[in-house]
Amino acid sequence: MAPPGPEAGRAAGTAPGKKITARLKRTLPVRGPQAPTLSELMRWYCLNTNTHGCRRIVVSRGRLRRLLWILLTLSAVGLILWQCAELLMNYYSASVSVTVQFQKLPFPAVTICNINPYKYSAMKEYLSELDKETKKALETFYGFSEGKSKVRRSVEDWNSTGSDFFEQIPLLKVEDFSRTATELHSGQKRRIEGSVFHKDSSIVNSGDSNDIIGFQLCDANNSSECALYTFSSGVNAIQEWYKLHYMNIMAQIPLETKEKLSYSAEDFLLTCFFDGISCDKRHFTRFHHPLHGNCYTFNSGESGTILSTSTGGSEYGLQVVLYIDEAEYNPFLVTSTGAKIMIHDQNEYPFIEDIGTEIETAAATSIGMHFTQSRKLSKPYSDCTETGADIPVENLYNKSYSLQICLHSCFQKAMVDSCGCAQYAQPLPAGAEYCNYKKNPNWMYCYYRLHEKFVKEQLGCQQICKDACSFKEWALTTSIAQWPSVVSEDWMLRVLSWDKGQKLNKKLNKTDLANLMVFYKDLNERFISENPANTLVILLSNFGGQLGLWMSCSVVCVIEIVEVFFIDSLSIVTRHQWQRAKKWWSGRRRGGAGQAQAGDEERQGHDNPACVDEDLPTFTTALRLPLPQDSPLPRTPPPNYSTLRLETAFTEQLPDTLELGRH
Amino acid sequence: MEPEPPGGEEGGGEEPGEEGLIEFYGSFKEMFEFFCKNTTIHGTVRLVCSGRNRAKTVFWTLLLLASLAMLYWQFALMFSQFWAYPVVLTMSMDSEPKMFPAVTVCNLDPYRFEPISEQLEQLERMAEESLTFLYGPTASARLSHRRDRDRDRDRDKDKDRDKEKDKDRDKNKDRDRDKGRDRDKGRDRDKAIPVQPRANLSTNFRLSQNFSLVRMWEPGEGRKHSRVGFQLCNSTGGDCFYSSHVSGTAALQEWFRFHFINLLAQLPPALARHPQRFQDLVYSCQYDGEPCRPSDYIPFHHPVFGSCYTFNSKGTDPFWRATKPGIPYGLSLILRAEQQEHIPLLSTVAGVKVMIHSHNQTPFLEHEGFHIRPGIATTIGIRQDQVNRLGGNYGKCTTDGADVAVELLYNSSYTLQACLHSCFQRAMLRHCGCGHIYYPLPAGARYCDYRRQPAWGHCFYQLHWRLRSHRLDCFQHCPKPCRESLYKVSAGTAKWPSVKSQDWVRQALRHQNSYSSSSSRRDVAKVTIFYRQLSSQAVREAPLLSENLLLSSMGSQWSLWFGSSVLSVVEMLELLLDTLVLSLLFCFQRFHAGRSPRPIPNSRENSRESREEPGKGQEWDLGQP
Repeated sequence: MAPPGPEAGRAAGTAPGKKITARLKRTLPVRGPQAPTLSELMRWYCLNTNTHGCRRIVVSRGRLRRLLWILLTLSAVGLILWQCAELLMNYYSASVSVTVQFQKLPFPAVTICNINPYKYSAMKEYLSELDKETKKALETFYGFSEGKSKVRRSVEDWNSTGSDFFEQIPLLKVEDFSRTATELHSGQKRRIEGSVFHKDSSIVNSGDSNDIIGFQLCDANNSSECALYTFSSGVNAIQEWYKLHYMNIMAQIPLETKEKLSYSAEDFLLTCFFDGISCDKRHFTRFHHPLHGNCYTFNSGESGTILSTSTGGSEYGLQVVLYIDEAEYNPFLVTSTGAKIMIHDQNEYPFIEDIGTEIETAAATSIGMHFTQSRKLSKPYSDCTETGADIPVENLYNKSYSLQICLHSCFQKAMVDSCGCAQYAQPLPAGAEYCNYKKNPNWMYCYYRLHEKFVKEQLGCQQICKDACSFKEWALTTSIAQWPSVVSEDWMLRVLSWDKGQKLNKKLNKTDLANLMVFYKDLNERFISENPANTLVILLSNFGGQLGLWMSCSVVCVIEIVEVFFIDSLSIVTRHQWQRAKKWWSGRRRGGAGQAQAGDEERQGHDNPACVDEDLPTFTTALRLPLPQDSPLPRTPPPNYSTLRLETAFTEQLPDTLELGRH
Repeated sequence: MEPEPPGGEEGGGEEPGEEGLIEFYGSFKEMFEFFCKNTTIHGTVRLVCSGRNRAKTVFWTLLLLASLAMLYWQFALMFSQFWAYPVVLTMSMDSEPKMFPAVTVCNLDPYRFEPISEQLEQLERMAEESLTFLYGPTASARLSHRRDRDRDRDRDKDKDRDKEKDKDRDKNKDRDRDKGRDRDKGRDRDKAIPVQPRANLSTNFRLSQNFSLVRMWEPGEGRKHSRVGFQLCNSTGGDCFYSSHVSGTAALQEWFRFHFINLLAQLPPALARHPQRFQDLVYSCQYDGEPCRPSDYIPFHHPVFGSCYTFNSKGTDPFWRATKPGIPYGLSLILRAEQQEHIPLLSTVAGVKVMIHSHNQTPFLEHEGFHIRPGIATTIGIRQDQVNRLGGNYGKCTTDGADVAVELLYNSSYTLQACLHSCFQRAMLRHCGCGHIYYPLPAGARYCDYRRQPAWGHCFYQLHWRLRSHRLDCFQHCPKPCRESLYKVSAGTAKWPSVKSQDWVRQALRHQNSYSSSSSRRDVAKVTIFYRQLSSQAVREAPLLSENLLLSSMGSQWSLWFGSSVLSVVEMLELLLDTLVLSLLFCFQRFHAGRSPRPIPNSRENSRESREEPGKGQEWDLGQP
């Protein structure tokens, strides 16, 4: 294939840079496409390619047959493209493997809270006014008077000079529907349009009295913007209203004081057994929850060791007896009696107010656990986050990432940004402080507006926060039995009160006690993990399969196609265009006189069959093209496109061509 | 491969010229040579076209055969695997925003419908009598729900009648069965319990005395073991059996229920509507901190579970969108768990029945409902699991129930239970001629009662037994739905209201609702249903071998063993077709030549002729054969 030498000879006298290029040209000669015209090129390709189908297009006889083969080949190409696209689209699929292994399982952290956060007797100092107000409301709305109650009397004793912030958000009795409805319309803002208050609501209209209880929150800066909150039951209305004020009060109390006001470990935990061995309050870590007061976490991992159980079954789990102390319950804040527990990982924050499980007093609650660990593949398989570091929301909780943490943090952040203070139930961001009525008189309205936005997904939190990729889950099975039994009640209560009795000089009541057992049902750990279903090797072999099936094609033939159909065709087309442009240019220079000649020249250019043979002989043999036996001799030295090539080579070869043409 | 073509010395020339629409080869040889030269199948070229070397030909034949065998063996393996339609389970966590599930609550307090209240009292008296009869006079209990003044008025009459009945019963015990029945019927008619025509229905329906509870002593066990039950016979009386139980309570309940069904069948359908007000069952309803609206629930009455309400049954209202997991964002209900109406033999549990189910689904409380205790706040955490089955070739399942042989009687989306119930009801109609009161009726049918179909009980129990032992083909006709949502439930309980708060809570309830409480707190229950987590676990079936992958592996095998492709096969087909057409052509020519007066030309001449004639083969137009 090496071209003849003269170019090298010419290049010898020139610069060394040119010398190198000349040598390169000699050793790696750049030739044009295999055929001068597109149709010739296609014919050449079809005859020589290894891809099935193409050859048939050329060699078949009969127009119909040819057409059929063209269609067949094209459909095969189409099928290959379609199937390969499908393969590519399914590339990011994951297969799931489930492994169950029997092993010594680490015991999860168990957080236990009393439903009632603070001792009511200790809280009187702070809550007396609120309670008084609540009782007054109850009395006016329901004619409820707690004549025999001690609380009432004590509240009256505590009657101090009242502050007026209760009056700012009073409980309302909405009596006349039409009037209120019109008021609502002028008030413009409601919590959720149409759902807060219904004129024709049958729930609202229920019962003997046609009134409902609610409260109104107004924008402090613009008193015409108000939101009226109504509830389907007075119970809910009073509780909600109480809670609102309660949070205001609690936000002003420092954490240390609150911890003292709540239950101590000695108060709360009477007995403790773990794995058949006695344990005590040192195994519990105190954790202050804004809504549930002091909570105690067993096996929190803070001491550095995480306990594990060697055997499943109720005997080998955690057994505690809790002292609930119903007498110290706040009657308006909480209406149910018991404890709340949550089972979670040591690194996980316990959202006890959201998903804690309640347990009953005077009963033994057995909670059997079944441990499942799941892992998802992160991007591009699914949209989850490994550590939460890529989420643009600061984690306010000092624990590992979860979707719940992200949502709460996001909301708290928005709250601080738009209301200027932080919501009481969630941790404080740096530099912020909890909302209270004295400092931020507008916060409640702001909070409800913000929460409405959050629910409607206008804050963008739901979009930002992603699921965590791996999570541990303890599936719980709860069963309840009466405890203590009638026959064992007597001695058990005596012993327990003796245990406690040194400090507390009152006899224990069984409705103040709750027995809790948390244990592994079995030590099987279920591990669900996703694995990529496809690897690059599999994808390639599937590609190969598709190419082979339809056309017996390979990567080489794909390269061939690229070479022929893109590079070569392009060069032919550009050459053609160049030639034409040049001709046009020269024609313009010569003016109108040269027009006819130019037309001639074009026909004689690459259309001249004699030119075909320029880089032969391999080409002719491959093509088996009929040699131009009887074609006339070229009248002009062809063709103009030779400018694309080495001029010298062309001139050297020209006589050769002529000879071929002649013989 | 192809047989050696007959005759023909050389292939046709390939002079370029005007092409016909369809061109054929001049001879078989020409065709075959063309094929040899231009085919893309590996191996064959070597085999057929490799010239005269015998050893080489044999070698290539063997090689070709071996690779063909390998190829088809592999193909067979692949196809058998594909046609077994294997599936893989994939599990994924979906965290798309979702709706709160539908929740149905029932107060377990079936209503005493006014038109049948008279008969109900009779039935309760009959139950009392049965108790006395079975367990002696010391065991008599007051079951009847009559007001005391009625009772006083009727007491004397009742006493007389009771005595009479007891006597009858004693007689019944040792009488001949068939004779007894006739006599019994007659007596029933005679002494027709005097019913004040309070409602128009009362006059034409009478409780049957045929099905009375009896004690059966088990043979060989002496008087220690006995069963209690009642007898059911078919219409001729030839086939009878006892529906019996070891426990007398179960038997009594079963017996009562049987009669009760007959009573309910008397009710006109318009009357069996929901009679109770929403506020009488639900004191407070809040979702996501907001009060529910009247459009959020659908009431219905269940004959056994009493007044029921389905919340969010459609699942389309954006009000019920679940935004956050957690107790404060769930559905919170304060329910009355008090039983006012009392049909003591029908429901023996107190509390509330709750069921969490998918939208548009008929709640089958007897299957999936669970109970809530009164005096307790129950928090129910739910987690959604989804099951997606592939259906089609991969397994039997239905997407919307349209392709199921059983026509659903329920006006809701397809579930397996709905299908089974519909199937059973239709079987009832086929076999017994009437429908069971628990299931809806198709148009034109009526409910069973023993006034019209005296033997329906026998028929029903037989049918039910067949269903349970899978002899009824309902299980075959009802496939599973392709897409199912399951709700995993876990509950926590706490006492509610607490001692400290109960005073004001009850006062508030009493004032707002028509809550008439006694001193115990055992008549209210609080239920909170919330999502534990919003992401749901979805188990999907996915085909292990998709068509796509099957084709890929076929292609790899083909390339590996044979180096050919689908297009090569088309080449072969083309060759076959050509051979066929050519041989037909030659036959036709020969036939034509035989008939003509010319001397018969041999095939060689023929082929030469054909080559010469058109220059390169026959030309055909499309229309010609």
